[in-house]
Amino acid sequence: MVSEKLKVTNSQGFHMRPATLFVNEMAKFGSDVTILFNGNKVNAKSLMNLIAACIKFGAEIEVQCSGDDEEAALAKAKELITSGLGEE
Amino acid sequence: MLKGIAASEGIGIGKVRIISQQKITYDTKPVIGVHKEIDRLHDAIDTFIDKTNQLADEMEKSVNPKEAKIIRGHVTMLSDPFMVSQMDELIKNDNKCAEAAAETVLDMFKNMFQQAGDELTRQRATDVEDIKTRLLRILLGIEEADLKHLPPGTVLVTNDLTPSMTAEMDHENVVGIVTESGGMTSHSAILSRALEIPAVLSVLNATATLKEGSNIIVDGINGEVIDAPTMDQQEAYEQRREDYFEEKKRLQAYVGKRTETADGMSKEVFCNIGNPKDGIAARDRDGEGIGLFRTEFLFMDRNSMPGEDEQYEAYKKVCDTMEGKTVIIRTLDVGGDKEIPYMNLIKEDNPFLGYRAIRYCLQNEDAYMLQLRALVRANHDTGGNLWIMVPMVASISEIMQVRKLVAKAAEDLSMPIPKVGTMIETPAAFIMADVLARHCDFFSIGTNDLTQYIMAADRGNASVAYLYKTYDPAVLRALRSIISAGKKAGIPVGMCGEAAADPMLIPLLISFGLDEFSVGPTSVLHTRAEINRWTKAQADEVAKGVLQLETAEEVKMFLKEAIK
Repeated sequence: MVSEKLKVTNSQGFHMRPATLFVNEMAKFGSDVTILFNGNKVNAKSLMNLIAACIKFGAEIEVQCSGDDEEAALAKAKELITSGLGEE
Repeated sequence: MLKGIAASEGIGIGKVRIISQQKITYDTKPVIGVHKEIDRLHDAIDTFIDKTNQLADEMEKSVNPKEAKIIRGHVTMLSDPFMVSQMDELIKNDNKCAEAAAETVLDMFKNMFQQAGDELTRQRATDVEDIKTRLLRILLGIEEADLKHLPPGTVLVTNDLTPSMTAEMDHENVVGIVTESGGMTSHSAILSRALEIPAVLSVLNATATLKEGSNIIVDGINGEVIDAPTMDQQEAYEQRREDYFEEKKRLQAYVGKRTETADGMSKEVFCNIGNPKDGIAARDRDGEGIGLFRTEFLFMDRNSMPGEDEQYEAYKKVCDTMEGKTVIIRTLDVGGDKEIPYMNLIKEDNPFLGYRAIRYCLQNEDAYMLQLRALVRANHDTGGNLWIMVPMVASISEIMQVRKLVAKAAEDLSMPIPKVGTMIETPAAFIMADVLARHCDFFSIGTNDLTQYIMAADRGNASVAYLYKTYDPAVLRALRSIISAGKKAGIPVGMCGEAAADPMLIPLLISFGLDEFSVGPTSVLHTRAEINRWTKAQADEVAKGVLQLETAEEVKMFLKEAIK
């Protein structure tokens, strides 16, 4: 398993649109993707769970990936989150 | 007459069509074959996705792409493979039928969304409910209410207008919408505004009280529903509807235009707002900035002071919404007529002359610093167009103290110092305006309180209401001298009271040299149109006449004539 601590930088956080983008991208990997936030483990490949987690702007999260392509999955997750999850 | 929330402007006159969503019931059947049951669920989900995509396609064409995204979101939500596999598990392990499995899982997410600490997520709960209802209908083979074929002049009366209903609705023929639930930012409100259909929401028991097929008037301007109107009412509202359309057409010409006088002097029309959501209205109504963001909403209806981060988010949200335009935020204006229980303010005999606004804040420096830090951070993170406005300043030393605190907050955070200005509302601030201007980056005149303090007349007291008039020469002289003091010092001067939107006062304010008019979001275009009527020379002519008059009544009569 690989993991990295990140900060959510887009103003909407993981709301509908940014979360959809994130989930769709993560679906391309075979690895499990989990976000640790506020002491909870969130399945980051599930849109509904991600929205329910209510991860907002400024949140400190940890992304964990585990599986055959875990390195690539984590790199992509990091790229998406630090670049603002598609928000303009 | 029934009262509700005015959620979409306009007046609709038509006949009632009630769509009441009854609770869907089904018998929990024993599962005969697990795989068959799972297939049944997946077939229903596929049907849901096909139908919803079709709806979204139609909506994209007929309404607008933004609203279609809400519907498209339902597809994305129900396509979550992990959620669907949870439903499968319930069929497999708990022997639940497809309906019960879907309902259990969707209800679980609905509850999770509802309990989320933020408004946007809570609103998504409505979507989950909508998805559930439609999926259950598909599973049970229940026909949806036919909204595709409605007679012209239909007023839709329903519990809640769901996105899917809106998408299906034959909106050409719908002249009004009445719902039992929903507020200004609900889907019902957003969708009816997008469709430009007058709507009144949160009308209690509307589906039970109103009668199918009866005549009805929906007044989306005042939030009123008139059931079975008399001939007179019918005629009066037809006239109002016509006036509304005409005015709307006239004002449409000012959308996206700069605000300027007839001879090309630039002015600005800003908006007064009371919470971050109103910021959206301000932007949509073409406000050129925010002239007054009242921050009291953050402090009210709760048991303790909001933290720095919570305040920061609210301030940042408005700045983000306004996309780099000026946002003037007034620091906490507690006291007077605004009570906040946990602040333990003692009841005073004379609250308007008492412990309020900046007087309270400077005595409670720790709490005030939180607000100032949140403002400094929001200013820094959104490009530096946030201005801090201080209410109820009566002495120069107050504004000096605030400036010191703002500078300290900025230094602690290693961030730039935002602009700081005074909301001019006390006679002392007006008399000292020339000195005060040296310590301020801007002025904004709060005419509501300024009038009551200059006239020494409580605006809530009917017996002295005759004195409370912005047209009084005493008030007008104050306005003139405040604006001129600001201009001499080279700082911008705005106005954030009702007077800024008053067509009778606009020529005077142009003549005095006011730069920025801050009005309610719905008055932006109207104010811009009124400013555009006058040249500076014409406005000066009006002002010259007015300043020779002696009483408020004379001024009012003179101005009435002048704006004809």
